[in-house]
Amino acid sequence: MDSITTAASVVAAGLAVGLGAIGPGIGQGSAAQGAVEGIARQPEAEGKIRGTLLLSFAFMESLTIYGLVVALVLLFANPFAG
Amino acid sequence: MASEIVENCPSRDPLLDIDSLDSSSSVKSDEYLELQVKVFRLAFLLTLFSVGIAGFFWGIQASASLFIGALSGIFYFRLLARGVGRLGTSSKIVGKVQLIVPVLLVLASSRFAQLDLIPALLGFLLYKPALIIQFLSMP
Repeated sequence: MDSITTAASVVAAGLAVGLGAIGPGIGQGSAAQGAVEGIARQPEAEGKIRGTLLLSFAFMESLTIYGLVVALVLLFANPFAG
Repeated sequence: MASEIVENCPSRDPLLDIDSLDSSSSVKSDEYLELQVKVFRLAFLLTLFSVGIAGFFWGIQASASLFIGALSGIFYFRLLARGVGRLGTSSKIVGKVQLIVPVLLVLASSRFAQLDLIPALLGFLLYKPALIIQFLSMP
């Protein structure tokens, strides 16, 4: 693989994971905060709150996974490698 | 004698009743467990359907890759559900252990030629349609 392609792939992999994890990280933090506050206020609704939190976490974390997969493909199965 | 009086007392405070607290918390965990089981069942059904279609149109290798990816997606969702279940009780954060699963999947697909990357990734993401169906069917 060309050295410029290698360098660009490594930088792009870092950016894909780093930038892709910012938004879901903030979202997961605020969702978890809201869920724990809601469980503390309404313990009888714990099951529903946890279920909704699980669904929203799965949707949010998939954005991180997309960035992670792009980064891993660039590092280990690079389509631009000659 | 004293315990009989306490047990038969009609104005017993439900918040101080440990038995009722235990039963209500088990109802809550049952509700959460029921949601997980529904999503797992939907994901398995979608996996079987997709594996059949992939095997019919693209051959056994793509079908096997899709199946392995789908199983790893279900395992990822199980780890995520365990982390969310622990939140607020034994842990203050949701762990990131589940992110190991897609990493291992991509590494395995780059290591083994029998495991195709694209079908494995599509199979991994099969838990999302199951989640969407479950989310839309929630009251």
